[in-house]
Amino acid sequence: MNPNPALNHPLSRRDLFRRAGHGAGLLALAGLLDDQRLLLPRALAGPTTDPLAARPPQIRTRAKSVIWLFMNGGPSQVDTWDYKPELTRRHGQELPGFDKKTGFFTDSVGPLMKSPFAWAQHGQSGTWVSDLFPNLSRHVDKMAFLHSCHTESNNHSPALFMINTGSTRMGFPCVGSWMTYGLGSESRDLPSFVVMSDPLDRGLPKGQASNWGAGFLPSVYQGTWLRPKGDPIDNLHRPAGMNAEAQRAQLDLLRSLNQQHLAQAGSEGELGARIESFELAYRMQSAAPDAFDVEHEPDHLKRLYGLDQPHCKHFASQCLMARRMVERGVRFVQIYSGGMDNQRSWDGHEDIVGNHRGFARETDQPIAGLLADLEQRGLLEDTLVIWGGEFGRLPVSQKGGNPGRDHNPHAFTYWLAGGGARGGVHHGATDAFGHKAEVDKVSVNDLHATILHLMGLDHERLTFFNNGRNFRLTDVAGDVVRSVIA
Amino acid sequence: MTAPQHPQRFFGHFAVFLGLLVGAQRLTGAEPPVPLPADHAERFTRGLGQFQKEIRPLLITHCLKCHGGEKTQGEFSLATREDLLRGGADGPAIRLFDGPGSRLVKLVAHAEKPHMPSKGDPLPEASVRALSEWIHNGAPYDAPLIAGAAKDSKSVGPAESRAPKPFTGWPYQRLASIQPPAGVSGDAHPVDAFIEARLTEKGLALNLESNRRTLLRRASFDLLGLPPTPEALDAFEKDASPGAWERAIDSLLAQPQHGERWARHWLDVARFAESSGFEHDYDRPGAHHYRDFVIKALNADMPYDQFVQWQLAGDEFAPENPLALMATGFLGAGVFPTQITANEVERTRYDAMDDMLATTTSAMLGLTVGCARCHDHKFDPIPTRDYYRLLSTFTTTVRSQRQLDLDPELTQIKKTAFDTEHARYLGERNRYEQTVLPGRFDAWLQAGAGWKTRADWEQLHSQEWKSKAGASFRAMADGSFLAEGKNADSDTYTVSGQTSSSGLRALRLEALPDPSLPHNGPGRADNGNLGLSRIRVFAQPLSGGERQEVRLVRPRATFEQNNGNLSIAGSLDNDPHTGWAVDPKFGTRQAAIFDFETPLQNAGGLRLTIELEFQVNSRHHIGRPRVSVTSLASASFDSEGIPAEIAGLLGRLKAPGGGPKTLSTSERTTLMHWWKTSDDGWRQVHQKAEAHEKDRPKPTLTQVLMCGEGFPALRMHTQGGDFLPETHFLQRGSADQKRGVATQSFLQVLMKSPDSEAQWRWQPPTGAPYSGRRRSLALWMTDTTDGAGHLLARVIVNRLWQHHFGQGLVATPNDFGIQGAKPSHPELLDWLAGELIRGGWRLKPIHRLLMTSQTYRQTSAVSEVKVQRDPNNSLLSRHVPTRLEAEAIRDTLLWITGALDTTPFGPGTLDESSRRRSIYFTVKRSQLIPAMQVFDAPEPLVSQSTRPATTVAPQALWLMNNPKVREWATGWAHRTTHNASQESSEWVTSAYQRALQRSPSPVELQTSVGFLKQQTERYRKAGTGRPELQAATDLLQTLISLNEVIYVD
Repeated sequence: MNPNPALNHPLSRRDLFRRAGHGAGLLALAGLLDDQRLLLPRALAGPTTDPLAARPPQIRTRAKSVIWLFMNGGPSQVDTWDYKPELTRRHGQELPGFDKKTGFFTDSVGPLMKSPFAWAQHGQSGTWVSDLFPNLSRHVDKMAFLHSCHTESNNHSPALFMINTGSTRMGFPCVGSWMTYGLGSESRDLPSFVVMSDPLDRGLPKGQASNWGAGFLPSVYQGTWLRPKGDPIDNLHRPAGMNAEAQRAQLDLLRSLNQQHLAQAGSEGELGARIESFELAYRMQSAAPDAFDVEHEPDHLKRLYGLDQPHCKHFASQCLMARRMVERGVRFVQIYSGGMDNQRSWDGHEDIVGNHRGFARETDQPIAGLLADLEQRGLLEDTLVIWGGEFGRLPVSQKGGNPGRDHNPHAFTYWLAGGGARGGVHHGATDAFGHKAEVDKVSVNDLHATILHLMGLDHERLTFFNNGRNFRLTDVAGDVVRSVIA
Repeated sequence: MTAPQHPQRFFGHFAVFLGLLVGAQRLTGAEPPVPLPADHAERFTRGLGQFQKEIRPLLITHCLKCHGGEKTQGEFSLATREDLLRGGADGPAIRLFDGPGSRLVKLVAHAEKPHMPSKGDPLPEASVRALSEWIHNGAPYDAPLIAGAAKDSKSVGPAESRAPKPFTGWPYQRLASIQPPAGVSGDAHPVDAFIEARLTEKGLALNLESNRRTLLRRASFDLLGLPPTPEALDAFEKDASPGAWERAIDSLLAQPQHGERWARHWLDVARFAESSGFEHDYDRPGAHHYRDFVIKALNADMPYDQFVQWQLAGDEFAPENPLALMATGFLGAGVFPTQITANEVERTRYDAMDDMLATTTSAMLGLTVGCARCHDHKFDPIPTRDYYRLLSTFTTTVRSQRQLDLDPELTQIKKTAFDTEHARYLGERNRYEQTVLPGRFDAWLQAGAGWKTRADWEQLHSQEWKSKAGASFRAMADGSFLAEGKNADSDTYTVSGQTSSSGLRALRLEALPDPSLPHNGPGRADNGNLGLSRIRVFAQPLSGGERQEVRLVRPRATFEQNNGNLSIAGSLDNDPHTGWAVDPKFGTRQAAIFDFETPLQNAGGLRLTIELEFQVNSRHHIGRPRVSVTSLASASFDSEGIPAEIAGLLGRLKAPGGGPKTLSTSERTTLMHWWKTSDDGWRQVHQKAEAHEKDRPKPTLTQVLMCGEGFPALRMHTQGGDFLPETHFLQRGSADQKRGVATQSFLQVLMKSPDSEAQWRWQPPTGAPYSGRRRSLALWMTDTTDGAGHLLARVIVNRLWQHHFGQGLVATPNDFGIQGAKPSHPELLDWLAGELIRGGWRLKPIHRLLMTSQTYRQTSAVSEVKVQRDPNNSLLSRHVPTRLEAEAIRDTLLWITGALDTTPFGPGTLDESSRRRSIYFTVKRSQLIPAMQVFDAPEPLVSQSTRPATTVAPQALWLMNNPKVREWATGWAHRTTHNASQESSEWVTSAYQRALQRSPSPVELQTSVGFLKQQTERYRKAGTGRPELQAATDLLQTLISLNEVIYVD
């Protein structure tokens, strides 16, 4: 099959309506496919538009894939990447004018609490990093930090929807879906957008599959969630008792019978495409398990990621799978660190020390290993690595036996590495306590605009017509943060 | 790459779609129509930013002084946007959305004369570019350049948002009065007459009629979502008499599978699901009844106007009809957060109402009213004011879970029969009480032996019950008190009463069941539970003296929900979240005993006050409490208490100088009725009546999720209320910027005259739990004379057309607005809408009307001429084969393989091994069924009118490897291959008949038989257990995977 048949073979407007559905939304797809020249009569149309065919970026870029390391639950900026000596000095004092409704628990607001971790400067850039990340701190010169991120909800689920879809409401397409819609897939035999969640029975992020849903985009653009246990994807194994030879013979029969029907029905783009889809499926049966199989990686690489360490083996394995996938052309990989909420994720309401130590230990070496591995393979330039959660945490303590920190929608840190991000820069700043973003504030729309830009997509031109208007990932806002782009 | 552009559409006055951004400014006079860019919203936002940052200072510095400030030279001012757009003596100053083409830009760049500013240099290049970009973005102002310059602009607020001109644009027009064209032949089918008139203009004609197999398959898949049975096909192919096709259609329309097929189309539009979404995606038990309502309504051919009315206000139209209540599930099917923080409560509620409104208007009127939430609709004549007035319809509308008797008539019949029979038993007991009992009671009284009876438990005298939250109490004969009325989230009961006993050691609190309570109690919570967070007892001598708290120890109960936070011990601590609860012991008597730390000494009487606090959970109050005290050390939970009155009478009998003579007649009667329970004869007749009472028919109650008013809302983890008392106009959709209270009205553009909403206002009967607002909305919506009924009819006939012909006459069935597609055959659409209304809104006749046309019956043959002159088939010059939807694909596979279970209705399942039709899968938002999703079933989040039909590898993997698919094929093989004597060619032929409703061609037969033989050999060599069965299964699995199965011609 032609890797991008849409560009060579016109198809009918009705085809478009039917195939990608959602009424005039197709027109936007048509726009991406270079518009009207494609809209030729059905009978003259060649092979179908593959909705996942790779499409050229709108903006010149090297980045091809994204790996989003999602620190679920909301890691504390003031305990990770946003160094606040003033917080240490004012430890134990009240934060004047603090609105008790800022966090989730209005009745357990404590005073300012210094970071319980030790801080030091690292790299050429002299980046301050807490001792939560002994391995990652060696890579700070690859990272572009956005210290002034802020969001619109103090509640997990709306904040997760916001950071993933640009809206606090449920039902909008997520970043990965938009990206796959805009760029298609480079992989012929793997899903284009893959999501991995916590494999230690700590649950899915709140809001669950809606965090990787396609919303009103055609459902082919939704994320494929890899089951953490058992077969990661459905229907990859042949029926019991059937060997490869028997299945090959069966598919040959199917092909032959379909071809006879095709000859009678005339040249039908969709029918031809469907015949091809069985061949593709046949190949996926071996290609997909191969991409997920980290066991055959060399030992030194396994050690680099931390696969030999019980405390981080699970995340190491997911990071290594992510590398194998982007290597094979998967467009977008999102890995969630932590499960649902509270102590099952980075949601350190109580015992910020124990909570963050635990999750940092699970992720520090695997992510550092991933960055090193991508770099040595020359893949880092092609791969945008994103680190962050759905919001930050408050500089004041949440009272309890072992104090924690409550949700903070006003400030959190993201970092980007590879994929055209400028290493070692720090964009924006929070106030003296890390409570609110203050300088060069970065909204979630801005963050999304920047991520899309790095991937070669113009957030103002990536649109889909739905229920009466053109929708964008960034709604009606968003500015690309230029300073973090190399 | 260019932004997608619609064919340019024009919209007269509405071209100035500034709405809130620039105040209530309107163009006056005859302005040239301006094409509207699709990305208007973004452009305006950008433009507004530019205006604030650069353009305003630029215009003030360089232009304003002479043009609108001190002077207005050339009759040109740019003080307001209105002035700017009006232009000057020399004509227009700008062309909206066209910076470089605007005269103003050319003048300030000194590219044209007169050069501006009139003295000095041209503006810097950057400024010219900024000005040009700003015009490109629609030249928005946030305020006039001079305060007060805008002549008619009032304070900016949705209440003042623009009033539209009525009936602008085709969808708002009343139905045209139309007759079908004369037609190509004299007696043409009316649908064909419309279609052929357009085809003839293009020199085209309909194709020939399809053959009978194709026709019946087409009709069967369209109407049932399943293939025709071989028998039905055979009969139809042989029926040469006139009317065979009409009869075939009628027979299909009469089948119960029709509702199951078409309900699925409507459920997409209704964004139907059975869970909440968001954090926890809680199930909504009873939500499936809405799905069943849709199926039943379609099968019964319920008039469409009624179908709409019930979904919006079934509880207000037919409060006693369970089906009407189920219909309201439409409003409640949207997503709703399960966890809501204090500062999200308002926004969440507005979002929830927006979901109801947006779905209602998209589904029923094909209008995207939701766009007017933040600003006047940019394209359609729907101002923000209309949005909020319409939104207020749902102010008090909430989801409720109700226990309904689904067959109240039957229950009534059974009840009447029972009562007649039961009267016999009661009569017998009455007779005994009147004729026998008095004598026996006298004997007991005279004997005197029983007077010594003493009660373990004593009830307090002169009890007074009070509720802090406002509940009222009714004294019951057994000394208990029934809580009624106000059922607040939390409450505290206080009871005080007197006792003359001394040495009191313990208090017993009983929670009695009662039929008036949910699930018969014993609590007032929705499920019948209670939650006693705190109990305190105070004692005060009647003679005066200090009131002192009595310390309670050794709490124990007949049952505790757990031994932690919901135990009886939790009722003694300070924590309001812990306390006694009794789930699942609903409908039974429960009791708790608390010992007093030290027995209460009593000289001259005590007043005891008992405080019961209920804060463990919402409305978890005891429904029918009874308190009593004892001076015994070991009184049990169950021993009888003696009512205070009886204890008093017995006391009199025993007292010196007492005896039976001291009793008045009424006191004797009272005492007799207390005593009778120990009389054997009375017990016998009583037990007979009681035994019969056990058979009293109880209605079978079914949990139904409805959405209406007046019943407790389905609560989530929320730090606020379930709804807000009023709906406000919101500035830019923000709940922080309220602009007055919105009262209900409808879309002015679809009302005969603006502000005539009173015409549809329906007043509910006094005492009804609902406001009547939803019924008013429904009455307006279905009013074909003055309301929106004409649009309602157009939208539904278009949906019928869409599913029969692959594409609607309006290709965007959820958007009939200016941004949607225009109708390809407007006269036909109006005529069909008229037919629907004239036919009493019944849909089945419209199906029949469409399907009996030659347009429906023609073949899919394509010719060069047709491709050239009707490339998109918008003229309907041929039939277009369509791929079945996810549900129909799976159902068809089940049907072909003989695995289909046709059981209708009831709770669904998430289990993919189910063999019922796919519409009976539970729709849980976080666990959508993979086999449905892979074939493009949409996520149930917003109304969806059109499904895509993608072709991707995971679909093929499902057919090749899915264990269920394989199992169905294996079952089919099992059933059909047991007859070893059957020739393989015969077997293959019958398999083709089943899968494709036709015999194999000679080549297909040969290929298939050859495959069977070789594949059997392969399995034999591989040592597989049953090579023939495996090979046969492989062939059958191949047949159900064929393109021909899921692409219906």
